[in-house]
Amino acid sequence: MARPAAAPRQLLGRLALRRLPPMQRDPALIFFLYASLAAIIFGFVTPILSIVIEARGWEILGDRYYLDLSSSALRDFVEVRETVRTIVKDGVPVEQRVIRITVSGFDFGVIGNSIINAALVTLTAAAIGTSAAILVSLYRFPGRRLFAVLAYIPLLIAPFVNAYVIKKFIYPSFTENMLSALVNSIVGPVTGDSVKVYIGVRDQAGVFVAQVLMFYPIVYVNVLAALAALDATLVEQALNLGARGLRLLRSIVIPLILPGILAGSSLVFILSLEDVGGPIIFGGNAHKFMAYEVYNSIVTRATENIPKVAVLSIIMLAAALTPLVVVRRYLSLRYYARLAKGAPRPFRGMRLGRRGLLAAYLVVLPLLVAAAAPQFGVVVLSFSKRWVSTFPELLPAGELLTNYQAILSIEGIRRSIVNSIYYLAHAIVFIALLGFMAGYASARARLPGAGLLDYLSSAPLAVPGLVVAFSYLVFFSRYSFGGFFDPAVVPAGVVHLLVLAYVMRKLPFTVRAVFTSVIQTPSEMEEAARSLGAGRLRTIARIVIPLTWRGLLAGLLLSAIYVLSEVSVSVTLGALGGNVYSTQHVGPITFAILDLVTEATVRGATQPQAKAAALATLLMALEAAVIAVASRLARRGQALVTV
Amino acid sequence: MGGTGIRVEGVVKRFGRTVALRGVSLEVRGGEFFAILGPSGCGKTTLLRIIAGFEYPDEGRVYLGDRDVTELPPDKRGTVMVFQNWALWPHMTVYDNIAFGLRLRRVPEHEIRRRVQWVLDLLGLRGLEGRYPGQLSGGQQQRVALARALVVEPEVLLLDEPLSNLDAKLRLRLRGEIKALQRKLGITAIYVTHDQEEAMSLADRIALMRDGRIEQIGMPEQLYRSPATLFTALFLGRTSLLLGKVTDVGHGRVYVRVGEQVIEAVNHGLSVGDEAAIAVKAEGGRLQPAANGDWVQLTGTVTVAMYLGAFTELRLRLPGTSHDIIVDLPPQVKPPESGATVTVYLPVENLHAFPVEEDVVKEMLEQA
Repeated sequence: MARPAAAPRQLLGRLALRRLPPMQRDPALIFFLYASLAAIIFGFVTPILSIVIEARGWEILGDRYYLDLSSSALRDFVEVRETVRTIVKDGVPVEQRVIRITVSGFDFGVIGNSIINAALVTLTAAAIGTSAAILVSLYRFPGRRLFAVLAYIPLLIAPFVNAYVIKKFIYPSFTENMLSALVNSIVGPVTGDSVKVYIGVRDQAGVFVAQVLMFYPIVYVNVLAALAALDATLVEQALNLGARGLRLLRSIVIPLILPGILAGSSLVFILSLEDVGGPIIFGGNAHKFMAYEVYNSIVTRATENIPKVAVLSIIMLAAALTPLVVVRRYLSLRYYARLAKGAPRPFRGMRLGRRGLLAAYLVVLPLLVAAAAPQFGVVVLSFSKRWVSTFPELLPAGELLTNYQAILSIEGIRRSIVNSIYYLAHAIVFIALLGFMAGYASARARLPGAGLLDYLSSAPLAVPGLVVAFSYLVFFSRYSFGGFFDPAVVPAGVVHLLVLAYVMRKLPFTVRAVFTSVIQTPSEMEEAARSLGAGRLRTIARIVIPLTWRGLLAGLLLSAIYVLSEVSVSVTLGALGGNVYSTQHVGPITFAILDLVTEATVRGATQPQAKAAALATLLMALEAAVIAVASRLARRGQALVTV
Repeated sequence: MGGTGIRVEGVVKRFGRTVALRGVSLEVRGGEFFAILGPSGCGKTTLLRIIAGFEYPDEGRVYLGDRDVTELPPDKRGTVMVFQNWALWPHMTVYDNIAFGLRLRRVPEHEIRRRVQWVLDLLGLRGLEGRYPGQLSGGQQQRVALARALVVEPEVLLLDEPLSNLDAKLRLRLRGEIKALQRKLGITAIYVTHDQEEAMSLADRIALMRDGRIEQIGMPEQLYRSPATLFTALFLGRTSLLLGKVTDVGHGRVYVRVGEQVIEAVNHGLSVGDEAAIAVKAEGGRLQPAANGDWVQLTGTVTVAMYLGAFTELRLRLPGTSHDIIVDLPPQVKPPESGATVTVYLPVENLHAFPVEEDVVKEMLEQA
């Protein structure tokens, strides 16, 4: 009996014997480090690890529904059908060839689809985001500012409605969708209306298009930040030596901004994996994604699926972590080393050659417009009755705000807004406390566990939200801590879980912001105070906080906005209180948006999608305001959306 | 006041695989102005930070007076540090920067006002108390940093290259002010610098460091006139290096064959047949030997002669050697032409011969 007790005592003894430097041996720093570490391990790591125990459904790897790498995967990639009809043109009957092109994309099974789609989305987003960023920040050409602004617009998240509008643009339809209308506006005049094209994109291909349009700006802003931190003399030196155009980009610029490209791309990969909006909205075969499978099992309470869903969760988690683990060391080492030296003079103003200009206006601009269009579509839809074929049908002039009035008057929708504010108000307090403690401790502590904290505090960014939701359900159903976190206790238990999930998932934005601010403040500022007799806490209160509050506030604003627009946990755990008409409805705004977009329960309300658009527009307005303020607070050359 | 003494015993400090300090011991007397001098990377700042409590030694102890402060955090030590970048808090006015330490000590506000005024007067900062650090010149910022440290009347003042971010003229003036203040207040001061002139002019005693070790501790003149090691002899002053073989020794002197000539130097432990490294200080050279004193004769080809105002610097290549040596001639002497062969005379105390230390010699030759 003596043995089991001896081991922990020995361990404690060794820890106590460890000679800690006096600067590190202070209670405040030790508390900051270990309290935040404990919180993250309790609220995040343990639930996630617990799904390993549940993962017993490995047989799905042999199931073609889940994984199909045979040639049939590409069978329905694209379908072209041609018919001939007679139309009346200028009073004369004419024959018209009707070409219907339907792109469905691949089907490698649930697992294959998720991973291959994420990889393709990432590559495409990286290519578009990097080209746009290089174009805007290294070259001078007419219309540069337009490019710059356009590229930011898709950063505004309109959960579900965004994908809904993209679907309206491209989904197969007997009438003309926006994509076909655009194509026919060129094909019609050229062929004298003898050819009519209907292009439709659906299923996996639809999800791919939606995700590229939604996520490429993340690469864009990261590369932009890397370019802003690029020392102008490096580029000028290369120009001086005669490097121009592609050679300059390939040999000098790209290698220097690679960390930015990798950071943005890793994040896009994760967001694509965890995106459930695209699959839900596109429907049909587009449901075959891991995120949707997990989502569906949770909302249908299919407990018999737990062993399978646990396996899917582990695969998602592993897939999401892989690129991060590969690039992370490289990223963190470089980024802060350079930021610490202050922003160098950024390079501005190479003239863009004629070929470059052509590429900018014919390739990059259409892509930027396409990516910004859904956001405009959402706003227009919010002032409309509904979406008819190409465009939304606007409300009559006197009733333009009908949808906005409706979302406030429908009880269940109003509740969701109140719920969101309530969750945010609670989560933000914990995010502020934990974020500052963890950010400061990662920057200053040299104690055992400091490296782990640095790693764990940004890890939640890399964990797909549905994995978090699923793991919470599994773990806290078993260990509910006296019912406090019991998902079966509605509303209290679910509310506590939602707040915990928001804190953990959105903490990294604040931790990173605080960490960067502290690292950028010379440690001598603190040492001077210590040497004059101030203890750690007083130094933090009088020196560190006054010098870093901008970073803390910028981080908090970002965390706040991502809490409000959070999807994965909101539509799963948020659904545990029932639909928006339930008296125990605990869903936040994004849950209500989903309900409206899919016409799930809000009956009677005419054209619920337009009302969802109104909610989403409010959300985007708030996001725009917050991003503007946060960018002013944060110092130059620092990507706000970064790993 | 007297000030508190400091004792450092056997301090070893490693950063990962690099060893910053390899067993350093020294004692600073109360009220003494003590300089730690050495090239960059020698460990001098690390030593100062260990005394201040910002770094923790892997081995060894630090004592303030009779107190062992090794385990104490910086705020409990009674040492106050002035940083190389001054570390003025940008969000506080000059007044608040200076008053910070006094407020921590719960000094009554009227007393704080009095003492801040006193230190502002002392350092010629009156009228600037309402400004923010960003609105001050470099010299003013440096004075505020000094004022902030002095106002709390520390037992020990630690200064880490506080003048290195200033231009040459200002550096000279502030150097004088720091020395005068330290004398006036009688506090113990440890001053880290890589500038030998700064160390010589300020310090009562200097510890010369190299590669994590103390080479020599002594009064400035002691180090300069009686170097104990080849490194000390080469580091201080404007010095050149000659290599050769010992042909004879006696009466504290050594005779070294360098190329075709035999050169006399002060002997530091050499025997006949040894390889010798001679550190040659440039000052006091002549074209004719004076009537009294021991003069060493050096004959070589002039590479270049440069008139520098106070003296003329002659670069001379001795036959059979691979690099020039420097000899200063009085300014009134007409400098010899480049390419001419001349014989110059230096006092024998300018030449110190030591056994060859490969790494020191290599470093010196790389710089030459």
